[in-house]
Amino acid sequence: MRFIVLVAAALVTGGASLAAHHSAIQFDFTNTKAVTGVVKKFIAINPHMQLVLHVKDEKGERDIEFEGHSTNNMYRAGYRDNMIKVGDTITVYIAPLKDGSDGGYVTAALTASGTRFGARSRAEVEQERLKAEGKK
Amino acid sequence: MQRRFPAAWSLAAAGLVFLLFWTIDAHAQQPDFTGVWTTYNEPGAAGGGGGRGGGPPLPMTDAAKQKVEKYQALVKPTGDTPGGYCLGTGMPGSMLGSGGYPMEIHQRPEQIMIVYEAHSEIRRVYLGDRMVPEGDRLPGRNGYSNGRWEGNTLVVETTNLIEQVDQRYAHSSKAKIVERYHLEKGAKGETVLVAEMTMTDPEFYTAPVTSVKKWAKVPNGHLLPYECAEENWIKRLEQLENKAAGKK
Repeated sequence: MRFIVLVAAALVTGGASLAAHHSAIQFDFTNTKAVTGVVKKFIAINPHMQLVLHVKDEKGERDIEFEGHSTNNMYRAGYRDNMIKVGDTITVYIAPLKDGSDGGYVTAALTASGTRFGARSRAEVEQERLKAEGKK
Repeated sequence: MQRRFPAAWSLAAAGLVFLLFWTIDAHAQQPDFTGVWTTYNEPGAAGGGGGRGGGPPLPMTDAAKQKVEKYQALVKPTGDTPGGYCLGTGMPGSMLGSGGYPMEIHQRPEQIMIVYEAHSEIRRVYLGDRMVPEGDRLPGRNGYSNGRWEGNTLVVETTNLIEQVDQRYAHSSKAKIVERYHLEKGAKGETVLVAEMTMTDPEFYTAPVTSVKKWAKVPNGHLLPYECAEENWIKRLEQLENKAAGKK
């Protein structure tokens, strides 16, 4: 539910940003993909955060540009100042671009210190539900 | 003759005391909406702001439909929105959800301030003598709002809007929005602020348009700052740095 609310908020207030940004309709919010890389640029900003990761994978070594939730939504999802710094190795969970190219919309992140913020995965939601029901 | 003055003064004093207590009592009866509020969803209901989302067809005039369709055709391919360009939602979208962000209300007898976190939109609702003369009002996306109390219900009338085809409830500059606010208890006993909205607009609608928005009180809640135009400034500085370095 939190994920849905966050995404809805982002789409309603932001949707798309300045010309350098991708439009929200280009992201596939039904899918989640994890990308790990070294932070080259990170700005917690409204209406969308900006992130550039240096990534090494089977496609090779390159810089990938991402955008994501507003600072306010990230804050409410657990982000705090200086959690992500240039040079950190982090993993971001993204709604990938529909055309399959590099980049995406960051919905959650695992910081260098191991702190995760953002939307919870379905598995985490399920685990919390079971815990609340006293089954785990 | 001289004896009448003390009697008259006594009567006047008594009248003033009555008026004072009547006024205090009248204010004491009015609920206090001061605080931070976030979207309240009925148990089992889906979330959502309502500001620019979908919904059933609206009773639009043909002229209004054409304007909205023209706008949609322009932005649909790219998904652009006013918010993406740091423009506030405007009424009635701001009060119907403001993108799912919270709002804060500060209430005084003569003025109520509503701050929507998204884009730091502010509405001022004037009551009694604080009302601005009609000819002195500046139109805008959130318009101009007068308020009055009907028992425990705050009635807010908003006019002086500019035409906005970029909202779920698109409207012309002739639109009039009436909001009726009252407090209720939610399913878990929480305090819920209910806003019933009715919009009339002879240019855009053939019948009144209505919607209900519910807000839950956030105990000791705080709004976050929402700077949005910073990106423009960062980009400009990058341009200047590149120019200074002799780059294109």
